Amino acid sequence: MLAQVLVSSVTAGAVYALIALGFVLIQKGTGVVHFGYGDQVTFGGYLVLIGQVVIGLSFWPAVFFAVLLSALLGAIIYGAFMWPLRNASLLARIIASLALGTVLREFVRAYMGPNAWPFPFLLSQTAVSVAGVLVVPANLAIVVVSFAVLGLLFLLFEKTIYGKAILAACDNQIGASIVGVRVSTVFLAIWILASVLATIAGILVAPLLTLSPDMGLIGIKGFTAAILGGFNSLLGAVLGGITLGILEGLAGTYISSALKDMISYSILIAVILVRPQGLLGGLMIRKV
Amino acid sequence: MIPRVAICIAAVATFFVTPHVLAEYHMFQICLIAATALVVLGLVVVTGLAGQISLAQSAFVGLGGYGSAILATSWGMPLWASIPLTAFLVSLAGFVLGQLTLRISGHYLALATMAFAAIVQLGLIHSDQITGGAAGMPVPPFRIFGLTLTTGSRLYYVILPITALLFLIVWNVMQSRFGRALSAIRQSETAAEAMGLDVLRYKAMAFAASGFFGAIGGGLLASLSTYLDPAQFGITQSVYFVAVAVVGGMSSPFGAIIGSAIFILLPDLLQSFQSYLGLVFALLLLGFIVLRPNGLASVGLSRYLGVASLRTAGGWW
Repeated sequence: MLAQVLVSSVTAGAVYALIALGFVLIQKGTGVVHFGYGDQVTFGGYLVLIGQVVIGLSFWPAVFFAVLLSALLGAIIYGAFMWPLRNASLLARIIASLALGTVLREFVRAYMGPNAWPFPFLLSQTAVSVAGVLVVPANLAIVVVSFAVLGLLFLLFEKTIYGKAILAACDNQIGASIVGVRVSTVFLAIWILASVLATIAGILVAPLLTLSPDMGLIGIKGFTAAILGGFNSLLGAVLGGITLGILEGLAGTYISSALKDMISYSILIAVILVRPQGLLGGLMIRKV
Repeated sequence: MIPRVAICIAAVATFFVTPHVLAEYHMFQICLIAATALVVLGLVVVTGLAGQISLAQSAFVGLGGYGSAILATSWGMPLWASIPLTAFLVSLAGFVLGQLTLRISGHYLALATMAFAAIVQLGLIHSDQITGGAAGMPVPPFRIFGLTLTTGSRLYYVILPITALLFLIVWNVMQSRFGRALSAIRQSETAAEAMGLDVLRYKAMAFAASGFFGAIGGGLLASLSTYLDPAQFGITQSVYFVAVAVVGGMSSPFGAIIGSAIFILLPDLLQSFQSYLGLVFALLLLGFIVLRPNGLASVGLSRYLGVASLRTAGGWW
């Protein structure tokens, strides 16, 4: 029983982890907390649908189309909104990112209708029994992809000169431009990368949740996961996501499934209050 | 310069003539605008004046609506008493929520208030016994002095004066010591603290005020719509109120009125594009925050609407 609960909650956790990775990537790379990221994930799923239903592509070309278009979307978000707002107050940037998410959500609602759409699983949904515990391949894929994305981002940030440039550009824009890093290109690359990641997450998550315009509310779970992990650490995002998934699974099984979401939002507030640097993140001293 | 007395007389005359000129539907719209403006006024205080982002406004509205309806249904308290009582209790909740600002600000505050809104909404849905759960609950009619006010043209006589009174209070408080303290905190918390202001208390009081206005607005909206549906009080709705505030202009109480008028009258103008309404609102928010973050109240009329004084006292954005 417990083992089964744990295995199922790891799947939910991996979903949160995947979304949290996107948040952390944007935050680490550009210093912006993107409140519309959950909606971007939904939008990614819908892009595949639009490719299939509206243009008439088959599934894989539609996925390719969605990834391509989301890269373009990332470039537009950076060029048209984040770059002009780079010197605006934090308040304006928070509201702008909320607004971006709302625009994507309402576009989807207006263009594709308010109802849920069926979305195909990439792998089989038939459960396989491993040592008495049922494992669903389609769910396993989400876990694997989360860790693969984590691994790739880890390599990018830690092992390549580009990753160093990204961190430098985020840490100190002037300093980075003096040593020859083109800050605007770096930020553009981050936004494109994060948008493509959102679409990949959307494609994986859509069949598991139901693909409707309001699926983006899952973003708040991604936030909780990112905060659990410290908001600044990629590994923390994945561990935070899985921890959150397990906590929710246990709470849902042993306390009350109705209270599951309330518990995870309470965790969000509690962690922000008690340990804002997260479980793994290092303490950041703010200069006055 | 027109004497103030003349303006007051004109305002009172307009107030009493309007119900005889306009149809019931338009009276309902006016009430809706006034009640929404009250909700957004809470955001003007907490975000526009004190500079603290809050996505909790829909939760305050929900608590205000449900609180006054439950007091009325289960305890037999008339709405004219239960709405202010609930608003007082909600403002205490706002004060407690404001204590969060001791440790967090910026995007963490946005997140925490967002989580608060989500928790309140889930709480409303799961307390089936008293709130009717996901199906919602009916609101008893507003009775006062033996009269039953159910239509917009009757509730008008309650909602409009309350809105006008609260706006007048906020308008005056903005120029007072309290208002200037909040402005100082918005411009620089460190400097405000160095001047000896109890920053946390002021911020918590700004949250309490936003809770109070949200709950009064919520109670009035509930008696106007006569039905409460928990789906109306989520994060999405909080963002809607922020959008109203941004488009109208957060640095002036008049912004709340302008914004509410636009967001409530626009659906009438765009009747043939009904399904695109949400998108239009979202694009309005995005356009304003990027191009004109001070909102419509800062266009042209700013000198008369008290925006200029805020601006010269240090940029807001």
